[in-house]
Amino acid sequence: MADSALLTRPAARSVAAPGRRRHLTRNNPVGYLFIAPAILGFALFVVYPLIMSAYYSLTQWNGITTPKFVGFANYKYMLTQDPVFWKSVGLTVIFAVISVPLSLIFGLALAVLLNRKFRGVKIFRTIFFLPVVLPSIAVLTMWKYLFDPQFGLANQALSWLHLPTSQWLSSAHSALPTIILIGLWGVGGSMIIFLAGLQNVPDELYEAAKLDGANGPRSFLHITMPMITPILLLQLILQINAAFQTFNQVAILTQGGPDNSTDLLMYKIYSDGFSSVNTPLMGYATAEVWFLFILVMIVTAFTFRTSSMWVYNANDARN
Amino acid sequence: MTTLATHPTPTFSDSPDPRRRKSPMSVRVPMHVSRLSWYLLCVVLAVSMIFPLVWMLSIAPKSDGDINQLPPDVIPHKFIWSNFVDGPEQINFLHLLGNTVTITVLSTIGAVLSSMLVGYGLARVDFAGRKVWFYLFTCSIFLPAVVGIIPLVRFYIAVHLYDSWWPLILPAFLGNPIFIFLARQYYQTIPYSIDEAATIDGAGHWRIFTRIMFPLTKPLWITMAVLSFQGAWNDYLSPLIYLTTDNKYPLSLGMAEFSGAFAGVAVTPYNFYMATNFWYMLPLLVLFFLAQRYFMSGLGSLGGGTK
Repeated sequence: MADSALLTRPAARSVAAPGRRRHLTRNNPVGYLFIAPAILGFALFVVYPLIMSAYYSLTQWNGITTPKFVGFANYKYMLTQDPVFWKSVGLTVIFAVISVPLSLIFGLALAVLLNRKFRGVKIFRTIFFLPVVLPSIAVLTMWKYLFDPQFGLANQALSWLHLPTSQWLSSAHSALPTIILIGLWGVGGSMIIFLAGLQNVPDELYEAAKLDGANGPRSFLHITMPMITPILLLQLILQINAAFQTFNQVAILTQGGPDNSTDLLMYKIYSDGFSSVNTPLMGYATAEVWFLFILVMIVTAFTFRTSSMWVYNANDARN
Repeated sequence: MTTLATHPTPTFSDSPDPRRRKSPMSVRVPMHVSRLSWYLLCVVLAVSMIFPLVWMLSIAPKSDGDINQLPPDVIPHKFIWSNFVDGPEQINFLHLLGNTVTITVLSTIGAVLSSMLVGYGLARVDFAGRKVWFYLFTCSIFLPAVVGIIPLVRFYIAVHLYDSWWPLILPAFLGNPIFIFLARQYYQTIPYSIDEAATIDGAGHWRIFTRIMFPLTKPLWITMAVLSFQGAWNDYLSPLIYLTTDNKYPLSLGMAEFSGAFAGVAVTPYNFYMATNFWYMLPLLVLFFLAQRYFMSGLGSLGGGTK
């Protein structure tokens, strides 16, 4: 299922057509030797954790002593008793639902803006991409200072403009929006992927549209958008995946506070499983991991299932 | 195309087509105005993107008194360049830098080597089950990394590799699914006639891989090296989970602790911190400006071609 979305490049498909492969001689031992590292990796980092975490989620375990089997007690506590769990799930969903579309819209807008051949366009691309390159810890600590309610530049600028200031990360109302805002600084990442997609749209299509009298917005809507939907789908899925696992922002900027208003699920899992203050609840944290895992899988599968309605498929169109 | 053939409406005039300039359209923006507004918009956006960084740099050389001054000045009264030496000393910077460099270099080598090998195997060797493995590796891109954390902590404790650099480096040597996908795509764009000719000349797969493919795929492995260097340099969660001893920390952990210590402290040495932050960012900035093309094309190849 992943393949259909990722293999969008016609060049790769035509070279990889089955007919060409008969020139390769079949050689099982050599083939498996070449992919051996990835098979080992798949076993150790995919299969083993999946099986073991399913088991650990059914145990009570502090990470040091042997896990004690408790059946579905962790899940029961998680779903019915944990006072923060559902709040945390809700916050995670809200965060993903707001930050992913924002990043896609701004990324696409920037890509369209910079998909020109004007002099200096490369410099602007570089500047917009720069924040993506920098270490997230360096960037996040910088933002924490900028949004400091007292000394931060953000409030200084607002009061200078005679606008109301904000408590930013220090208030339960504004902390999550501030984290989303900070995330938009890294919009250059999706910009650069969209830009590659835009540059892959054949010029003939635009020329034909122009001859037919289509103007800028129209050809954007009827040519650009359909042609980049495969990239949009890939970006959507990867970004949703990443948004559900947001950790660094919370760990550096708010540590889940104030008043659990930014306690995204990934951070809650970390603080439950690795807390140095309370007893680490690794079994319980694993149950939460499984909840997050299933949530991500459902959303991903749903996105893929509905994608045939809006993703342009070159092969379908050709038939 | 028929859907596009509609009544003519005013056009955006960024097209250099001379025929259009003559067309008798009423609401047309002259070309130079539209270009000027494009530049203006870009400059405004670029300045607002870059300003936080400039601001950070301006804090670094400020004196202790200046950093708490209200309202703040962008240009420091007095430049205290020694902050760039005294700041890093607060967290034993050179030691942490050594740790980060070791981890980053080793995992970059591992990621490039393993993904090149696996990509070659998937694209250019025919073997039973090749498609199935490709699907499995590709699907594992979508497996949330969080699933692995707790079982892997347990695993590394059991094999006595917890609180060492092994958990940070080993995964790179066992193939990164995204890199494997990129590598396979890239290998497939190389004509198969090359392999055939080499095979006729008596070269085996290992020889083709090392002598022919390695030079031919230079853009690919530079891209992977650059991206994995960046990933390892920036990684925060993995060291946070797997390392417990201070002197094994990489810079990401050291910097987070440095700033974390500020919470609830009255006088915070933000000038020292930002000066240190500058040194932490510098290697990546240099790498970015040297290999910019590869950074951008690497991510771009996810959405476009591998050109």
